[in-house]
Order: sequence, then C-alpha cells, then structure tokens
Amino acid sequence: MSAALSFKNPEALLAYAEKVKKYRQQRTMEIRVCAGPGCIARGGREIFSAIKATIEKNKKELKKKNLEVGVKFEAKCTGCHGLCEAGPVVTFEPSKLFYSKVKIKDAEEIVEKTVLNDEIIKRLLFKSCDSRGGDLIKKYTDIRFYALQTKVALRNVGVVDPSNLDDFIAEDGFKAFVKALTEMSPDDVIEEIEKSGLRGRGGAGFSTGKKWRSAKRVKQDRVWIICNGDEGDPGAFMDRAIMEGDPYSVIEGLLIGAYALGATDGFIYVRHEYPLAVKHLQMAINTLEKAGLLGKNILGTGMTFNLKISRGGGAFVCGESSALMRSLEGKVGEPRAKYIRSVEKGLLDQPTVLNNVETFTCVPAIIDKGSSWFASIGPKSSTGTKAFSLVGKVKNTGLVEVPMGRTLREIIFDIGGGIIDDRPFKAVQTGGPSGGCLPVDKLDLPVDFDTLSRAGAMMGSGGMIVMDDRTCMVDIADYFIRFLIGESCGKCVPCREGLRQVHELLDRIIRGDGELDDLKKIDRLCHTMEVASLCALGKSAPYPVTSTIKYFRDEYMAHIEEKKCPAGVCKSLVKYDINKDCIGCLICKKQCPVDAISGENKKLHVIDQDKCIVCGICYEVCPVDTVDIISGGEIVNRRELEVVNP
Amino acid sequence: MSKRLFVTPYRCTDCKNCEVACSFVHTRNPMKPALTRVRAYTLMGEIKSVVLCLQCEDAACQTVCPTGALTRNPDTGAIDRTDACILCKACTMACPFGNIHFDPAYEEIVKCDVCGGDPACAKYCPTRALVWAEEPSPDLDPEEEIEVMPLPWAMTMPAK
Amino acid sequence: MPKDRSEKVRVTIDGRSIDAEKGKSILEVARECGIEIPSLCYHPGLESFGACRLCVVEITKPGWEGWKKLVTSCLYPVEEELIIDTRSEEVRENRSVVLDLLLARVPESDVIRQLAAEYGIHDTSYTKREDADTCIMCTICVRVCDAIGANAIATLSRGPDKYVDVPDKDACIGCLACALSCPTNAIPFEEFVNGKRKIWGREFDLVYDEISHEPIGTPEQIDHFAEKSGLPKEYFLKSDKVRKKETAVTFARVQF
Repeated sequence: MSAALSFKNPEALLAYAEKVKKYRQQRTMEIRVCAGPGCIARGGREIFSAIKATIEKNKKELKKKNLEVGVKFEAKCTGCHGLCEAGPVVTFEPSKLFYSKVKIKDAEEIVEKTVLNDEIIKRLLFKSCDSRGGDLIKKYTDIRFYALQTKVALRNVGVVDPSNLDDFIAEDGFKAFVKALTEMSPDDVIEEIEKSGLRGRGGAGFSTGKKWRSAKRVKQDRVWIICNGDEGDPGAFMDRAIMEGDPYSVIEGLLIGAYALGATDGFIYVRHEYPLAVKHLQMAINTLEKAGLLGKNILGTGMTFNLKISRGGGAFVCGESSALMRSLEGKVGEPRAKYIRSVEKGLLDQPTVLNNVETFTCVPAIIDKGSSWFASIGPKSSTGTKAFSLVGKVKNTGLVEVPMGRTLREIIFDIGGGIIDDRPFKAVQTGGPSGGCLPVDKLDLPVDFDTLSRAGAMMGSGGMIVMDDRTCMVDIADYFIRFLIGESCGKCVPCREGLRQVHELLDRIIRGDGELDDLKKIDRLCHTMEVASLCALGKSAPYPVTSTIKYFRDEYMAHIEEKKCPAGVCKSLVKYDINKDCIGCLICKKQCPVDAISGENKKLHVIDQDKCIVCGICYEVCPVDTVDIISGGEIVNRRELEVVNP
Repeated sequence: MSKRLFVTPYRCTDCKNCEVACSFVHTRNPMKPALTRVRAYTLMGEIKSVVLCLQCEDAACQTVCPTGALTRNPDTGAIDRTDACILCKACTMACPFGNIHFDPAYEEIVKCDVCGGDPACAKYCPTRALVWAEEPSPDLDPEEEIEVMPLPWAMTMPAK
Repeated sequence: MPKDRSEKVRVTIDGRSIDAEKGKSILEVARECGIEIPSLCYHPGLESFGACRLCVVEITKPGWEGWKKLVTSCLYPVEEELIIDTRSEEVRENRSVVLDLLLARVPESDVIRQLAAEYGIHDTSYTKREDADTCIMCTICVRVCDAIGANAIATLSRGPDKYVDVPDKDACIGCLACALSCPTNAIPFEEFVNGKRKIWGREFDLVYDEISHEPIGTPEQIDHFAEKSGLPKEYFLKSDKVRKKETAVTFARVQF
C-alpha cells in the first residue's frame, strides 16, 4: 500500500497485516503470471508486460465490469508455479483457472475474453497427459500434478509477487516471527524445531534443531547464521525457485533462527548463476531494513540482525559447508575435514549454523502451525515435505513438493505423468550428480533420507532425473563423472585423481576396450574414494558409478563382453544400417553430413561404414524408420514398445 | 641453576678439536668443518678465539622465524631448530652473530643445540676455552697443565 | 614446578597405551612415540591440510561396538579412549590405492616411487598422466609462502587440472623456501646464473656480502624479512660467516 513501511513494534505489524487482508478481501479477480526460470525463458515476463498493457488500455471497461484495477482486480508476476513443462503459465484466482503454454499474442485475448467476459480460451487449457487421451483441464487443482502435492516450503512460491512485501504479509508473512518474538523464548523456538523433526534439506539430513542447540551450547560471544543458496546440482532448482519467488520466507526463517541463536549477523550465500535470486533477495533485504525488520532494534524489541548476501564464485564445491565458509572468509573455496564441527568452529572459527534455503523456509511454517503439525507429515524419521525438481524423460517436468515417504512411483508416474511417449522407465537418479541411479524394482521405495541412502542413492538437495530405456547407464555414469571432474575442487587425492581414473576406465568400456579387470579396478577405486575422500562431495562422487554397477551390471557386462551397447548410445559400439524396407527417398542421403550414404531414387540406400561418424541423423530423419541401430550384431533401436510402463 | 657454555677466548689455541667434535655429533659426514656450529679462529695471525651460538635471551632468529620453528628447549636452555622449519633462511640472515647456517647439501638449517645437554665441543676442548658449567670457571693459569680428553678419531690414528 | 601442565588423554596406538597431549593430532602423537605414519602434505610448521590422504588411520572406541572409521591422522585430534590402528588392512588398502593414483599422476617422482614400492606397487595400474611433472598438489609450497607472508603462490583451476603457480610474479620474493620444502622437488630453480637466481619464471638479483662476496639473498627477500620482523635492515646485509668472524673479534677484544 505505502512505499515506506516501518513497524515500530510487533503489534503494528500485526495490525498492518489485518489491514492488508481486509483490503484484499475486496479483490474479486487476480491474474498470476509465472516468472519462474522456465517460464521466463519462454517469455513469461513479456507476457506479463503485454497483459499489463492490455489491462491499462481496458481500464475503463474493467471498472464498468466491477473490476477496478488495484482494488478488485490485480495482475501480478509470481515465482515458479511448478509445472514448467506447461509454461509459460497464467493462472486466475479465485477461479483457479489454469492456462498453459501462453504466448505473448494471447495476452489481449486473455484480458478481453477471460477477464472481461468470463470466457475460457480452450486452446490454452492444459491437456492431461493421461495415456487414455488428453482431457482438457480447467482448474489447476484438478491437475494430478498439483492435486497430489503438499506445499510447505513452496507455500508462497507462485502465489506472491516476490517484490511485494504486502503480498507476503497478506499470506501470513512474519506471523511466525512475531509469534516467536512475543510468545516464545529462544529455547522454546529451538525446542519446537527439534520436536518437529525437521532435517536439513541440503543433503546430509542432519536434525536442524540439534544443530541449533549445539551451536547455542558453545560458549562464544558471536554466532553466525548462514543460509546456503549455492545450489549447484545440474537439474535442481528448488532453492532457486524459493529465493526468486519467495525471498521473504527465507529471510523470515533466518530471522527466527537468529532470534533463537542470538545471532546478530547472517549471510545468504547465493550461487553466482542466480542473478535474479540475488536481485529479489536484495530488494527484500532493503525493504525489510526500512520496515524495521532487519538491522538494529527489530520491531522495537532491541534485537539486532544484519543480513548480507554473498555471491558464490560459481564452484559446485562451495555448496559444501566448510568450503562455503572458507569462501565467505575470502579464501579459496576448498573443504576442510570436519572433525571439529562448524557449529563449534565455523566461519572465522566461531560457532556457525549453516542451513539450506528450503530448511529455513520450513522454519516459519513450523513455528506458525506447530511442531506436531509438521511431525504428522511423513514418516517419523523424516518428517515434513520435500521439494524436488523433476526433470529428464518425464512428461510433467517441474517443481514438486510432496510429503516424505511418498514412493518414487507416485512422484514419477502420478505427479510426473509418466515417461515421455510412454516409453519404458529405466532409472531415476536422485540427489544430484553424486547421487545414485535406482532401477524399476526400486520404484516403490518411499522417498525419505534413510531409505534412499540404504538403497545406494541419496536425498541430496532434491534433484530427480528420470531416464527412459534409451539411456545407456555406462554412458550416464561417465556423464556424471565428467561433471564431477569439472567440479571437484582438486584438493584431495582420491577425488581429484580417482575421478580422472574412473573416467578413463569408463571411457575404455564405452569405447569397447573394456576388460573384466576394469570393473574390479573401478570397484576398488570407488571404495577408496568413498571412505578416504576429504569432504562429502568426494565421498559421494562414486555413487553414480557404484549404483549403476550394482543395478545395471548386465549393461556393463554387455559393453565389456559382447562389445554391445544395449541402449544404442555408445558411438564406438554402435553402427547404423539401412534395412531392406528402404523406400529410397534420398532424405537421409541429403542430410548425411559426411556423405556416407549412397543410393539412387527409389533404390535401397547403403551407409558406408568407413565414412559414417555415427551421428544418428539418418535414424532421425528416415520417414519410414528403416534405419537400424546395430550393436554387438543385434538391432538395438527401440522403436516398438513391447513393455508398457510398470 | 642450569648449565651454559662459557667461552674463554684467550685459552683458545685454535686447535679445531671443537669443530671436529661438533662435526662428529651433528653432521652425517664427519668431516665437514665448514658447517660446524662452533668455529675456532686465529685472528690477525695470533689472537685466537672460539665462537658459537649465544642462545640469546631475545633472539633475532626467533623473531624473524615465520613458523615458530626455533623454540627454546626447557631442558637444555638452547634454542632448537625443529621440524617446523620451512627453509626460508630468514634466521641465517637475521642472526647478528652469524651463528645459524643453511646447509645446502642436506637442505637444512643448522645451529648449536648444545648436543641436547652434553656439548661435545666443550667435552673435547683441551684448553678449557669452552666449558659447559653452571658458572664460569675460575681463572686458570694459562701455563697450568690440563688433562686432555682424546678425540675418538685420534685414538684410531696410527701411533708415531 | 611441573614441567608439563597440559591436559592429557589416554589413547591406544597399535596396541600401545599412550598418554597424549590434548589438542594434538593423531599423527603428531604417533610420531612422537616413534610410530611412523606416512604423509606427504603434512608439515609440522604449517596448518594441517589433509589432502594427500596417505596418513589415514582407522579409529574406534570401546563404546562403538566394533564400528570403525577411517580418519585423516594429521587432522583428527586425540580423544580419551581412542583406539587407533595405523596399519590395519583397510588402512593399507586405501594407502595403496592413493599411492597407485599418485604414481599415475607423477610416474617420474622418486619419492612417490619409493613410497609406492613399500606398498608393493612398482608400476601404476591406472593411466599415467601425459607430460607429467612431479607435483602432487600437496600445496606445501602455497602454505610455506603464506607462512612467510609473501602469499605469492596459489592453486589455480580445479579438479584434475588444478596446478600451482605464482599469479603475480612481483609478489614472489625469491626466497626458495617453496622449492626447498617441496617433498617431490617439483619446483625448479637455478642459482648463480650470471650472478642471479631464477625461480617461478622470474630472475632475481642477489645481494652479496661486501667482504666475502658470498651471496646473502635477494633484495626482495631482505626487505621482506626486515619489514616482517621489525629488525633493522643492517642485520640482513652480511653473510653469516663474515658475521661469525666479527663475533670472534668481539670475543677476543673483550678478553684483551
């Protein structure tokens, strides 16, 4: 409402919240345009500007229809809505109408038809990815992707305008902080968090309450509180979505933490590649400093908390806690062995609490709704919900949040809608690049910290990459190892040299030069990396290899013994051949980049194997699918689907 | 009171026994007197004197050492060079008395450590120019006969 | 007055019961007792780094119900009741793999070859690095340079491509401490080439003693040490041997 908000005491904030809510009750329609990373890439921002412009043009019309802009009607840009696959997404409140794949040119039509005349534009409706044929779904609450989720950490993402404090306050923002400040002692807060069973969402899953308690126990004048927003896993964007879409919740979590721990200084360490997250967080910090919610004498209670943003240098390893702290100190971002824990000696050798973005975002919800509410979600050992970024060969890629203990099948097939083109599921990799790959028979595993690590994978920060039958597991293992080679800090020998050698050995297998002895060497090497590496990243680096060897050993054996890549991926083991059904259309011949295909019009084409570079273009362009992928003397192209998804 | 090394220069005959003894105890190559910690000199053709580390109270070598590798041994009172040395040679440059050296052959810093509490130089000094004692020895008549302890290697020399 | 008032903890290393000084690392305690643990990146004068993973040992405690874990002995502080095994099968296995990996990295290094041979490895089972030097990335040079206060050496890049270099040549004082402290002699330098010293791609002048004409060090080195220690610069301008002789003169003068 007003630009320069300032709250002198907690009561003033609560009173203001009441006022905002009352004012908002007049609102009869709200358009939310998603500005999550996926939707921005597809023009979400431009769509929002176009909608805004159209609204401006039709202001009088709207007032006539009892939709006064700013009072009864509002259009806003929100954070990630979740269903990135269908982006750019535009939703309507309170009707819950959901438009997918919106284009800039649709803006006018949306305002004229849907806003002014309550008319639904059918072509923008979401088509259910049910294999029985796509029904058009009007409300997002009816889409299985949304219906099966429980949003705690992502509660405001896609709901609030991240640059608008009023929006956040209208969604009960800072209610939990005021509650902690006025009704609870710092120890009460810690006890509440401990009772909720909240475990760190960054990877290791250490109890947040216990961490806070041990930091508090250390006799030191100064405690640091740091929020880890250095999300580096490929395919993971949960923290990014939160920081970009709901920066105030992260800060509220930090404020509650600072109150509980008596910390006066804090940092949010944000990954270099997230400029929008930095922008939104900085905007939020500036607003809160003016509003009396950060800095000195917060809400007139005498509490001091200064929050600063620190940008990472773009190193994956800096997401590791001790490396992150070194980086904050201005040193080289390398991990230290943590025989002395960072809650005792962390940043500048002072007690430091470091939690992940998602963890901090859960804190206000727990304080607001109570620890027993949070503990009632999910199994006893892993309470609450967890956000995942569901990517890969799955129909509904996007950001999801489910209660702990849901099975992989529910996440991939019910929420994710199954595999693209209904191909067979092959594996899912959880926990980022150093997570493990789980096969079909592990689909019914409940997703929680302990079950996943027992199965040789890990929760990690919540990346989930789905693979179909056209994925070669040796190739994918090598892919992750190559990623980790690029990201290893290079400090300790097992990780630095071990990764290089594991890559060499995998590469030999992929080239078809592998021997049985190489598998033994890999096993031995992986064991040493697992037990003797310095930090958790090095210790978990061999997981993609060990888990694929464990669950897809036959595929490794096929590469080694039969020199065959069953998925038809590894170039050295694969050749392309044109079968007798060729209609002689010349398309492949024209497309071949190295002129390896010979043949005349309406006659059988032949690939010159000496010239062929196995690029696969002929396979892709053949209109009648007569190009075969051959490996180990067998046709391995999987055009026909014999297996329906389990 | 703990023992110290006392030097009485006028008794020194520049016989080099101290240097040889030091060589024996410290260097892996017994005959490297150029790098012994103790040195005897004949100055201006006639004045003789022996020099070795003074184990200064407020030592320049200790001040300049970046890793605290030079530490006072509580048992002997000497400043010992420990393994923490990183061979920056700052101490050899800083000692105003030139009593700490770098040995390029073995790549290490060498300095007097009073042989861990039983300095060989004093033991084998025939004229008591060097004495390991709690107090300075009373002035002796230079003509007085002194019992000389033979050096180990001397015993193996063929008799004349 | 008791000589040693530091707190003690009782640990067992390889079956030997030892009263260890609290706060010391397992490696320090073991070496004091003559129990040898191999290491490459550990240096008593520098902060422990824990990168070579050669000094790993297996630890357990009576309350751990037989559970054991591998820790880096140069970093792990001794604790009451700690039972340490410095040569269990697991320890030897991991040391072998680490040495095998290092041998693939620096096939020409005598130090690594000798160490590997002690663990029965005479040729690496992995792919040798092409154009290998003998640097094992222990970063002793980096830490030595930091300790001296020149902060000239740094690690650059990361992962297997990580290397050690002097990004700002002007920061180097040419003291040679890095080269002399390197466990695998991986830092080349030249002395007295046309009266100069060469290291890290830079040529340094040498300051010579006026009397004996012996080299003392580089002007940068002298300035740096004089500034750091607060001692007068004159202290640094004579060779140790000349000064020793001067001391002899002083001694003699006191007498006569």
